[in-house]
Amino acid sequence: MTVDLGPRTAAFRDEVRQWLDANANDEARSLREERRPSPEQAAAHKRWADRLLEAKLICVAWPEEFGGRGLTGIELAVLNEEFARAGVPRVTRGMGEGLVGPSIIAHGTDEQKATFLPRIISGDDTYCQGFSEPNAGSDLASLRTRGVVENDEVIVNGQKLWTSGYWAANMMFCLCRTDPDAPPHRGISYVLIPIQVDGRPNGVEFRPIKQITGQSHFAETFLTDARAPLFNVIGGLGNGWRVAMTTLGNERGGNATTQYVAFEREFWSLVELARETGQIDDPRVRDQLAWAYTHVELMRCQGERLLRALAAGKTPSGAMGGSVNKVFWSEYQRRLGEIAMNLQGAASLLVGPDYKLDRWQSTFLTTRSHTIWGGTAEIQRNIISERILGMPREPVRK
Amino acid sequence: MTTTSLDAREELRASLREFLTDKAPLSVVRQQVELTQPLDRKLWETLAGDIGAQGLAIPETLGGAGAGWAEVAIALEETGRALTPLPLLATLGLAFPALLAADDSDAQSELLPRIASGDLVATVAWVGDDGAWDGSGNTVRAHVDGSDSRLSGRVSYVIDGDTADLLLVVAVDGDGTSLFAVAGDADGVTRTPMPTLDLTRRLATIDLDGVSGRRIGRPGTADAIVSFALDHARVLLAAEMLGGAQACLDMSVNYANSREQFGRPIGSFQAVKHKCAETLVQVEAARGGVEAAALALDEEPDRVKILAPMVKAYAGEAFFRAAGENIQIHGGIGFTWEHDAHLYFKRAKSSDLLLGDAAHHRAALADRLAL
Repeated sequence: MTVDLGPRTAAFRDEVRQWLDANANDEARSLREERRPSPEQAAAHKRWADRLLEAKLICVAWPEEFGGRGLTGIELAVLNEEFARAGVPRVTRGMGEGLVGPSIIAHGTDEQKATFLPRIISGDDTYCQGFSEPNAGSDLASLRTRGVVENDEVIVNGQKLWTSGYWAANMMFCLCRTDPDAPPHRGISYVLIPIQVDGRPNGVEFRPIKQITGQSHFAETFLTDARAPLFNVIGGLGNGWRVAMTTLGNERGGNATTQYVAFEREFWSLVELARETGQIDDPRVRDQLAWAYTHVELMRCQGERLLRALAAGKTPSGAMGGSVNKVFWSEYQRRLGEIAMNLQGAASLLVGPDYKLDRWQSTFLTTRSHTIWGGTAEIQRNIISERILGMPREPVRK
Repeated sequence: MTTTSLDAREELRASLREFLTDKAPLSVVRQQVELTQPLDRKLWETLAGDIGAQGLAIPETLGGAGAGWAEVAIALEETGRALTPLPLLATLGLAFPALLAADDSDAQSELLPRIASGDLVATVAWVGDDGAWDGSGNTVRAHVDGSDSRLSGRVSYVIDGDTADLLLVVAVDGDGTSLFAVAGDADGVTRTPMPTLDLTRRLATIDLDGVSGRRIGRPGTADAIVSFALDHARVLLAAEMLGGAQACLDMSVNYANSREQFGRPIGSFQAVKHKCAETLVQVEAARGGVEAAALALDEEPDRVKILAPMVKAYAGEAFFRAAGENIQIHGGIGFTWEHDAHLYFKRAKSSDLLLGDAAHHRAALADRLAL
């Protein structure tokens, strides 16, 4: 990295480094991201998270007035670099930090901010997403889950799909139709629904969906008279679509400045595979490996470009992130999984006990979801052509 | 070398674009290339006088601006965008870095000020009739007698070789291969323009018959010099291709937004929008790579050996794709000689193949990564 980030950033880096030198211990270094941690892993994770909480190193991109640190894109990149250097995980509050919090900050009332944001930071609230429905995928605005206002409550009935993170969640951010007579994009409300109320079920039932990987990271969710106080409607009744767009914008944003680090590690593992299987001298394999490296390095270059723009006080153009980045990395990694499967050859044909996949089978299958979630690759291309290139929208059905 | 700020580079881009729109719009470029007119010397000199493009990376003490390769890359990107038929790639992408690598202060202090002022067009000749970019088909031999050398043989695919004032010729002599400076109009030089598919890129065959040349740099160093120059040429050619790809994308979008079929702009059909979106994704990726590679020429020499073949391969394929989709989106009109789309399409393929194709450069990348 050759981008000169200026003295303020250098000071920030020093501060983070000093803190990590004093606090990053072996236990923190041993933490791995587990979708379903054991009780011991969960306890160790909480100890590390509590240290970060004390040091105000959680939800760092949020503005200071809401309990964050108001870190800029550059400082966030520095923070990620320093944590990676120290070999300890950044603790994030998942969809609460990345999706719900920013939407509340953008659209919530002062009381809502004071109520919900601290609980995300502290880890008291963990959110799962209730957007997609069986008949509302890419065409999200056609969603049919109903929300009826009764006194000071919204009562929600319907079915949601692809609820990720359901097993750990105590809250769901949910889109429901509160005004069936309004046009599709109006009439939708963004409601924060508790999974339980006073320790009792609140009409939110999850049924895990078995994915093509054999695992169940998603659920379908049945909402039966699920109740939320009107206070939990963000952005006001009927304004949910605007709030949801903020959420989806954040979902696609990713971290363009540092994502290459993980992809680079993955690339060198693939090189190792090519060596182990004796194919490293095959010109066709070398061509594929060079192709893969090119894409990883281009992500790094793009991240540097973003940092140069930020360091010069510019607002990066839409073409530098969001949908463009999503299309680039998701389709790259999908291809990488295919290359790896081919390199393994016959070994790719077999799985372990209980359909246990090896690393590359897992990449091969998991990457099929990356070009679907958060807006399919086709939806991303619509967004790129309409918002960046200024091309006309597809005519909408009447 | 110092590198100027992002703002300064964008200012440079704006003034170049204004200059080229004013002095060399596509209509003028078309006339020139179709009538196979000689190099527009006046445009070359004005580019040096008004913008100082040729001297951007030349030190101020030698008449340049003392900026860096990042600035030169912007010049190439803009001339690539406008298909300007000027010898920037040959002079700045090949000859200039060759002179730097030769580490021959006499040659530098004599020639670099002339490049900066727009007085000198220069190129490097190292490829033989067989078109092997590693120079294995080069038949030129040098007979060195004291300070005078006599060169005989033939080189081909010499970029802007028919108009260059200065030919830097790779020749086998007693010490391996060395680089020799030969005047373009010297006795015994016969220059034959090659009939190129790409109307906007001049290539020439050069026959040398006992031509007087002067050795540049130390004996036996031509391979190292050419290798150094080629990495610069790869980055600058990638910048040129990036500009061409962006031009194709702009043309595609403009046309798709105005052309109506089935009662609506064809740009409202996803089949067309998605082509444009994919081109944008690749153009932006190429832009990040080219910027990093050009900055690396100034600041991170170690990274150049990775980035140079990488961006040459990627930008080559991205440009070709953009140029092909541009014809497709234009439909029938895009297949006509009168439309500009084919100029870009041919430039894209010729640039993709020039110095070696994408597969060749990925193979080089794999080697350089020590895979």
